[in-house]
Amino acid sequence: MAPSKTDQQWSVDFENARKHHLFSNPPKDRTAYPELLELVEPHIASFNAIFKDGGQLEEAIKDIGEKSFSDRHGNRLSLRIEKIFYDKSMLPPTNKVVLKPENRKVLPAEARERHSTYRGKMSARLNFKVNNGDWQSLDRDLGYVPIMLRSSRCHLESSTPAQLVNYKEESEEFGGYFIVNGIEKIIRMLQVQRRNYPMSIRRMAFKNRGPGYSEFAVLVRSVRPDQSSQTNALHYLNDGNVNFRFSWRKAEYLVPTMMILNALVETNDREVFQAIVGTAQSEGLGQRQFVIDRVELLLRAYKVYGLHSRAMTRAYLGSKFRSVLQLDELTSDEDAGTYFLRKIVLPHLGADNDKYRMLLFMIRKLYSLVEGESCEDNPDTLQHQEALLGGQLYGMIIKEKLEEWLNSLRYPLNEWGRKQDWKPFTSQQFQTDFVPKILARAQGEDLGKAMSYFLSTGNLVSPTGLDLQQTAGFCVVAEKLNFFRFISHFRMIHRGAFFAQLKTTTVRKLTGHSWGYLCPSHTPDGAPCGLLSHLAHKCKIATQSVDVSAVPKLVAGLGVSDQVSALLENSMVVQLDGRVLGYCSKKQSKVISDTLRYWKVEGGHGVPVEMEIGYVPHSNGGQYPGVYLFSQPSRFFRPVKYLPLDQLDYVGPFEQPYMSIAVTDPEIVSGDSTHVEYDARAMLSVVANQTPFSDQNQSPRNMYQCQMGKQTMGTPGTNLNYRTDNKSYRIQTGQSPIVRSSSYGSYGLDNFPQGANAVVAVISYTGYDMDDAMIINKSALERSFGYGSIYKTKVCDLEEGKAGRGKKNIQKLFGFSPIGTVTAAMREKLDEDGLPRVGTMLQNGDYIAAWHTVSYDNATGEFDNKDGNTQFFKYKDDELAFVEEVRVIGSETGTDPLQKISIKLRIPRTPVIGDKFSSRHGQKGVLSQKWPATDLPFSESGLQPDVIINPHAFPSRMTIGMFVESMAGKSGALSGQAVDGSPWQFDEKNTAIDHFGEQLRKQGYNYHGNEPMYSGITGQELSADIYIGVVYYQRLRHMVNDKYQVRTTGPINSLTGQPIKGRKKGGGIRVGEMERDALLAHGTAYLLQDRLFNCSDYTKTTLCRGCGSFLSTTPTISEFTRKKRGALTVRCRRCAKLADNAAPKSEVWSDGQGIRYHGGDNIAVVAVPGVLKYLDVELASMNVRLRYNVDR
Amino acid sequence: MDPYDVEGSGIHVRFLEANPTRAKFIIQNFNLESANSLRRYMLAEIPTVAIDIVEVLDNTSVLADEFVCHRLGLIPLNSRGVDELIYSRDCDCENYCDMCSVTLELNAKCEGDEIMKVYARDLVLASNPPNDQIGQPVITDEDRQGSCIVKLRRGQAIHMRCIAKKGIAKEHAKWAPSAAIGFEYDPANKLHHLDLWYEGDDPKQEWPVDEERVNLDGGHPAEDEPFDYDAVPQRFFMDVETVGGLDPDQIVNRGIKGLQQKLAEVIHELDGGDNANGDFGGAQSPTLNGGGFGGNDAGYTTPGYGGGGSVWGPGGTAGGTTPYGATPYGGSAW
Repeated sequence: MAPSKTDQQWSVDFENARKHHLFSNPPKDRTAYPELLELVEPHIASFNAIFKDGGQLEEAIKDIGEKSFSDRHGNRLSLRIEKIFYDKSMLPPTNKVVLKPENRKVLPAEARERHSTYRGKMSARLNFKVNNGDWQSLDRDLGYVPIMLRSSRCHLESSTPAQLVNYKEESEEFGGYFIVNGIEKIIRMLQVQRRNYPMSIRRMAFKNRGPGYSEFAVLVRSVRPDQSSQTNALHYLNDGNVNFRFSWRKAEYLVPTMMILNALVETNDREVFQAIVGTAQSEGLGQRQFVIDRVELLLRAYKVYGLHSRAMTRAYLGSKFRSVLQLDELTSDEDAGTYFLRKIVLPHLGADNDKYRMLLFMIRKLYSLVEGESCEDNPDTLQHQEALLGGQLYGMIIKEKLEEWLNSLRYPLNEWGRKQDWKPFTSQQFQTDFVPKILARAQGEDLGKAMSYFLSTGNLVSPTGLDLQQTAGFCVVAEKLNFFRFISHFRMIHRGAFFAQLKTTTVRKLTGHSWGYLCPSHTPDGAPCGLLSHLAHKCKIATQSVDVSAVPKLVAGLGVSDQVSALLENSMVVQLDGRVLGYCSKKQSKVISDTLRYWKVEGGHGVPVEMEIGYVPHSNGGQYPGVYLFSQPSRFFRPVKYLPLDQLDYVGPFEQPYMSIAVTDPEIVSGDSTHVEYDARAMLSVVANQTPFSDQNQSPRNMYQCQMGKQTMGTPGTNLNYRTDNKSYRIQTGQSPIVRSSSYGSYGLDNFPQGANAVVAVISYTGYDMDDAMIINKSALERSFGYGSIYKTKVCDLEEGKAGRGKKNIQKLFGFSPIGTVTAAMREKLDEDGLPRVGTMLQNGDYIAAWHTVSYDNATGEFDNKDGNTQFFKYKDDELAFVEEVRVIGSETGTDPLQKISIKLRIPRTPVIGDKFSSRHGQKGVLSQKWPATDLPFSESGLQPDVIINPHAFPSRMTIGMFVESMAGKSGALSGQAVDGSPWQFDEKNTAIDHFGEQLRKQGYNYHGNEPMYSGITGQELSADIYIGVVYYQRLRHMVNDKYQVRTTGPINSLTGQPIKGRKKGGGIRVGEMERDALLAHGTAYLLQDRLFNCSDYTKTTLCRGCGSFLSTTPTISEFTRKKRGALTVRCRRCAKLADNAAPKSEVWSDGQGIRYHGGDNIAVVAVPGVLKYLDVELASMNVRLRYNVDR
Repeated sequence: MDPYDVEGSGIHVRFLEANPTRAKFIIQNFNLESANSLRRYMLAEIPTVAIDIVEVLDNTSVLADEFVCHRLGLIPLNSRGVDELIYSRDCDCENYCDMCSVTLELNAKCEGDEIMKVYARDLVLASNPPNDQIGQPVITDEDRQGSCIVKLRRGQAIHMRCIAKKGIAKEHAKWAPSAAIGFEYDPANKLHHLDLWYEGDDPKQEWPVDEERVNLDGGHPAEDEPFDYDAVPQRFFMDVETVGGLDPDQIVNRGIKGLQQKLAEVIHELDGGDNANGDFGGAQSPTLNGGGFGGNDAGYTTPGYGGGGSVWGPGGTAGGTTPYGATPYGGSAW
């Protein structure tokens, strides 16, 4: 019998033996945690979609098309990209050391450990021809482009857990991120406007477009097959006219809509009139006077252009936009017009007729909005949004860089022409010069560099702006602080940096539309609240178009017509991905959507189940009605059960508001509900799901827990030995929570524990648990409760910042100078090779690596040290650390001497007073005392709590979930079973208290989880019984050792003499205005003077009593004798007079320049703030003199 | 007179259960203060032996040095006859010696393909302890392995010299002879020390009652029994469970002895005895600030951070001085 496949089902039980087995024997067939892989699917699939056959990049090349350039003789050079090649990550050809091809693979772990980029070579096959000659082709190198892990270009793509472990990865490595300079980067998902759906918008800012513009517009974000988008807008003018607006290369243009309609198809006024108002015989035409008036004006106003045919209109458009579109002179105006229509007008549609019909629909919708027949669409709800996936953005950037690269040939071509006397492209000279002198000088050929830059900074350098509203913040570091944080990066979706600046809060609001797609509780509080959301854990995102080729025919079969009627209810539009399929009646539209839905769930009719059927019913002044079908990528969708067939259906946010989906089975209303949720918990994110009994908590507490769960010191990974994070936190004694949610097992969270089950007593015991402080049993700490470590990586690079490569340029080498003496002190922490010993303890100032300067000796081919000096890299942190690993990083060529090492340090962090802990219910607290076990209260069995928290933490916060967890944990600990803590298991009739109370009673405990306890100090029974149970506690990464700031004396600002700020520099903490006010109010004048003056910029200075100035005093310099010991003599230069012979000899003094004075001796020594002198100097420079009157 | 008190009014101990790991008993005619003192003493001040210093000679296991050391410290060692060992701080030796410590050696290397587990039984005595029991790791499981210290893969090795010293649990939990000591009096709440909370109508529905104990303590109060304001707890249920280093009865014995000794010291001091400031060799609280009592205490220094001096530089100047002259106050011309 063949061995059974790895089990992928998980229960809430501990299943320790199974997990242990999985750890020691990573499965060789498939992962045990498929749900984990599904979480990152959108990232990987969207990246794969770029490079697959017929994928985003191929479409992009098609869209770029041919670029042509002309010389001054009417010759045309045409260029196009035929194909893009993208290799897996390999050693560069400069490496001649590794010979076996299988060893030349560069695996992600290597990139991580070497602090390099995981990237593959990209090259382009370029075709060019002159005039109508044959295409010639050549391959150009485009540099090394970063590869997403576990994508189709990654070595790990289909690796099994066993292989992954061999590749030094996590056994459940799911990829979805990039490695740039050793740092894991992820392209964040972005919420953008839903594609190919014309949205009615009312925005006062539209009035600023020009005179006559109103606040009404219909906006469509039209997405090309290559996923790049072009926004088209129709603006309503107050007189009834409609203008077409678009942006091109960050500039805005406005065109009369009629011109575009006329350019698209051969049409006439009657046709346009009937298409907007309705056919002549249709019912209700009489009520449409509003629209009729406006269409009349629309048609009339266009007459002034005098353009009568399609060709003429196109030529007119072409003549206006040819330079904007960067077309060469040889292109005719009409061709330019056609190009314009193809590139800019509704580019999601290929056929001109479709574009024409869509534009007419948009005009109808616009007039309907203005008339008040339908309302505006809310762009801030998820209904009108989709996700811009990382891969899509990546592909868009690649496309743009390729296009810019081709466009940039203009300049080298021009330059060549100038130097070569404008020789024609047909000349022999051009043939020979093209590749080395022209193509080589094109800008932006190194695509790899551009993509690495994008990933490492998150900045978008783009001439077009890619139809996005921001230029920065696209990429974030996928911090592996703990597993919650890491996984959250992949489920994170941002509304856009632009919205962060908005003063209004509308964009941040949680609307019902996002039910099931975005988690309501997993968003940060503070500035990014509501803008940075996380996907619900069952929410999926479409990454490719589904096959809907059969749908238009099916819709036609169900009965739609080409003609529109006057009344909206008689002309409900049916659209597929922004293409008008036809119009039908109100009744018919319902039939169409219901039938399509039935077919889609049933399958086999050519209607894919992932397709979204957005049926917007006709209403009185509501959303513009119609049936909108969507099949393209970027859509959110989620599984629910379709009741008529009892089968899986996917629903999307567009259709959802008009559907009746029951949450639980009892909620199903016969005749109304069409769907029911599989599980109500599907609406929560992965992290929010892990809060036990979150349904019993006040909702902000769940938000806080989502934040704190991500700041917990946990287990960042199981391949720690192969990771070189700058800083990573690790809890050494993690446990599996007794109370966990139903999804805990299937996400494999036991692989990354991040806390410990603690016995928690809720009692006000010593006063040290006031105000969210908590007391921890000293013995528990000594038995390693919450013990953690920090790992830091220090890189010692000898050629830092130097581009010069190659053996001969090497000037430094690691190790002690071979000719110098090596003292014992040097060797204390270092080994013979000058590198630190693994396991060594380091303190501030210790040496961590030795190096010496060398020069390359051409004769011997060796490196000589001339000076005999050994220099050192030092450990500069204040904390004690141990050397965990030393990594020797060679060059890519494999032949150069060692220039870079990376040292991983381990800093032990036992919990100390001031460290932060939290339960899983947003109840954070600070360790305030390590209380001796003997003094702690204890139960009858002698059990002492690990943690004591104050009862006052509960009434205002209402985290009942924590109480329930405490009881559940107690019961689970007593029975040895894991307890299901998923939310929504209980209700008013069947309460959690009864469930766990009953269990506790059976185990011989109080029903409500209370226990009589005894004072540890007196032994007397406490007069109240104490609520005590087992709660999972997390240790947060905020630790006093990283935060404390003290100063007695230290560095000062050289200008003002005041202490500098900054913890790292040993600065002080500012006593600011408000603190000063407090001191004043308390009348603590002495303290005030101490803080503000004595401990700040206390300065003793000399002041001339006569003229009251600091600045005129000067020390005297004796001309003859050396300075005598004792007080310095200071005189005022201003009050002194130049000494003449009449002056008494004894009173004459001189300054340093030998000028002799007498007088000016009325000097006082005063103590003033240093800044006062500075102020005086500053004012003096403005010609303002300060005068101080000194009484004594 | 209490009808259940067959033994009269003297202090009386009655064992309910006694086995090698646990001793359950009742002390009668005792007072609360003394009973609690005994509990506290047994928890925190009975000296045992535990690994205190580890010399890491080799550690290529996946666990960090300090982590393994911590695990070693928590391994219970046989402490029978711990009195024959003196506290390391009282010993005349430089660092440690046979008088004040027991040395154990852990030396393991994995050479097979199987994962090798290193257990407490692999700790081998490497010194001459005062008796042949002290310092041996406590092994109670059937396979005679003891607790698992670390797992090794092929090629990994661990070699450590562990110096076990005598100490008390006040200083570190590893010296605790017992992890928890059960302590109860008045199970029927006759004294009304505790006001039991109940949600429903009947506390009996919510509160479990240990009838056995109530019976041992004189049964439930009679319905009409008047509340005795002057009653004090007299009968104490204790449950001592050992972690393995000492027998439970020994823990109790030593607890009582230790208490007596402490009291004797107090009496001795009060009497102004001839050797008033002598050290009686009893258990001592750890001195938090490093030095002994009344010594020249230089203040708290962060251990392991190079001593002296703050993080901002080496110590030296005493008290607060500013960089601008000796003191800003007085003595100057203003």
